[in-house]
Amino acid sequence: MDILLRVIAIFIEVSLLALIFYCLLNGARLTIFDLGLGVKYRKMVTTALVVDGGIILVFLISHLTLLYPAIGAG
Amino acid sequence: MDSLRELFWAGQEVYITQVFMPIIIGVGIFFPAIIGLFVLGFYRRYRLWKVGQGDNRSGEWLTRLLTTLAVAVANVRIVRLKELYPGLMHSLIFGGTALLFLGKIIRLFSFGGLTVPPQSIYLYASLISEIGGVLIIIGGGMAVYRRYIRRPPRLDTVPEDNLVFVWASLLVLTGFMIKGYRIAVSDITPPDWTMWSPVGYLISNVFPTFMTEAKDEILVWHRVLIHTIPAFVFLGYIWLNRSRLQHILISPLNVFFRSLKPKGALAPIDLEKAESFGVSQIEGFTWKQLLDLDACTRCGRCQDACPAYFSGKKLNPKKVIQDLKAHLQAVYPYPLVKKPVESRPDMLTEVITEEVLWDCTTCRACQQACPVYIEHVDKMIDMRRNLAMEKSQFPESAQEALKSLGTREHPWRGTTAGRTDWAKGLGVKVLAEDKNIDILYWVGCTAALEDRNMKVSAATARILQAAGINFGILGTEEACCGDPARRLGDEYLFQTLCQKNIEILKSYNVTKIVTTCPHCFNSLKNEYPQFGGNFEVIHHTRFINDLIASGKIKLGGLASNKTVAYHDSCYLGRYNDIYQPPRDILQAIGGIKKVELSRCMSTSFCCGGGGGHMWMEEEPAKRVNTKRTQDVIDAKADLVATACPYCLSMFEDGLKTKEVAESVKAIDLSELVLQAMALDTKKA
Repeated sequence: MDILLRVIAIFIEVSLLALIFYCLLNGARLTIFDLGLGVKYRKMVTTALVVDGGIILVFLISHLTLLYPAIGAG
Repeated sequence: MDSLRELFWAGQEVYITQVFMPIIIGVGIFFPAIIGLFVLGFYRRYRLWKVGQGDNRSGEWLTRLLTTLAVAVANVRIVRLKELYPGLMHSLIFGGTALLFLGKIIRLFSFGGLTVPPQSIYLYASLISEIGGVLIIIGGGMAVYRRYIRRPPRLDTVPEDNLVFVWASLLVLTGFMIKGYRIAVSDITPPDWTMWSPVGYLISNVFPTFMTEAKDEILVWHRVLIHTIPAFVFLGYIWLNRSRLQHILISPLNVFFRSLKPKGALAPIDLEKAESFGVSQIEGFTWKQLLDLDACTRCGRCQDACPAYFSGKKLNPKKVIQDLKAHLQAVYPYPLVKKPVESRPDMLTEVITEEVLWDCTTCRACQQACPVYIEHVDKMIDMRRNLAMEKSQFPESAQEALKSLGTREHPWRGTTAGRTDWAKGLGVKVLAEDKNIDILYWVGCTAALEDRNMKVSAATARILQAAGINFGILGTEEACCGDPARRLGDEYLFQTLCQKNIEILKSYNVTKIVTTCPHCFNSLKNEYPQFGGNFEVIHHTRFINDLIASGKIKLGGLASNKTVAYHDSCYLGRYNDIYQPPRDILQAIGGIKKVELSRCMSTSFCCGGGGGHMWMEEEPAKRVNTKRTQDVIDAKADLVATACPYCLSMFEDGLKTKEVAESVKAIDLSELVLQAMALDTKKA
């Protein structure tokens, strides 16, 4: 039961963090283009940010899986 | 009370020493950065407004301030009966954000002795923050439901909208989570959390099993960082990127600098000094007109209100504003310099298109609906002026009307009637023959020359006579007031007619004018003063209403017991705020049943005749008047009462098109009054 709760907790945590990084990276993307970066770079910038997001997500999952405290320890 | 602050923070040593102080230090570092981004973001907009022409919007500062506060804080332009859902939604989000910020700021300074406010304020700050957060969640939920589930056609959703929704929701959610964790990690429960932090307390109970481990500093840091860093970046984002959320600042600014001139007065052109006429390039607009573009929140209220759009025409006021905004940004793409690109599309033919410009009836419904006082009509006329005066590009039918105005001083090409034909046998004084009058009856071209409307002018004259008013008319000396020319963009022709009329009116020492036409009324009252023509101008509905109120005319009842709907003319209602006198007149007439049209008063729907459209050919399927006639049919009215010659003609036409001309009649209020006075209407 504790293990299941831990997985749920990590899932919630990763989901929140993933959404936050989506906001940060997408916000950065929109700002870059709004500041005048040419349309021809759109695909390249978007791809780079999506890759960054993926790496961050993998890191978060592994980080939280390793370091997340045990449930029910208290 | 001094111990209350200690109680508030008691048991949260980890939070205080390891997290809260660093956050305060972080705020100290981030805050100047946010200010810097704000200045940068604002300058990006400001430099674009500065490319516009001058426009004096100073003076009456207190009025401006109070209106801005009423609009921005009390949301008076948004919360309307017919718009209750979006109005309430906006108020909840706005009010919630204001409370949240207030609570945050107070609590930010509540630790470490930075300030010494009354100590109980900390607890109240905690509570109002939570109330604010809940209001945002409710309002945000309503917004999501409206935008993504109900999806009203007037709303267009761009990628940035999705981002803002997700981001803002996360900030509120993680904010509550932090509060929950803070309560959960407390060793003791100092204040009554259920009272001062109800949502946070509820969340704290979700994590009871974390109690020991959750005190882990790193974990607390996680909680704080996933809220605080995105919150700061969000603030930076909305100012650096030209986000729609900038309307928080720009829309109130636009409200503050709104026009305080009479609503019906277009800006005159100094024909002797002007090097070009109208606006053909984005820089030709004034700084305020460019500010309008940035203030638009894409709410689409103007689109919903526009009769041209509703009738299936190309014009969409929201799109006009958005297209001009995109064009401005495309012409000046560099973030911090005022340097335009070398080649640009033609604004009048490629960005907006001529068809769109000529679709506008200048009814002002868009401006009335706009919660942030964007001035659409002036821009349309400015662009028309360029087409008309520099390029001589008009719709063919409009050109004929203007030609007639230039040669015969009225727009009714082909009429064989004379200006005084309607008055034959009525004994109406003509000023050239008898100057001894108290009031001038300004008949107007349509009431003088168009068959159906000639009955209206005769009815008005007979009412004035019955009331014992010493009045006269200019007769053949009366020229068109110039409204059609001005709205079609021919400012030169307008000024020529206007100055001629002023000269004649002054030569007869005219001081008081009554007119049946709201277009003449608007021009004489609001636009002639621009050229030295200052007269007391009264619309016939107000004048007749005063005659009824003073007992100078007595009304009986109409025997027919018909259902009557009053149609508000745009130039009488929205432009000049005359809504009640026509209704008072109907009230005074007995034997009728009054009904309101579904769109009435300030939200009245145009008849389709304004802005020169009275003389323009239109596709039968896209005629505005047939849409408005449907409103009359839906109201199950036997009579549609008007107070404008254009409206009367448009309804006559619309009733025939809808094939209900036998059962539903259009009638001017003066004709109804005359009937109620039990006079012999056959003479009229």
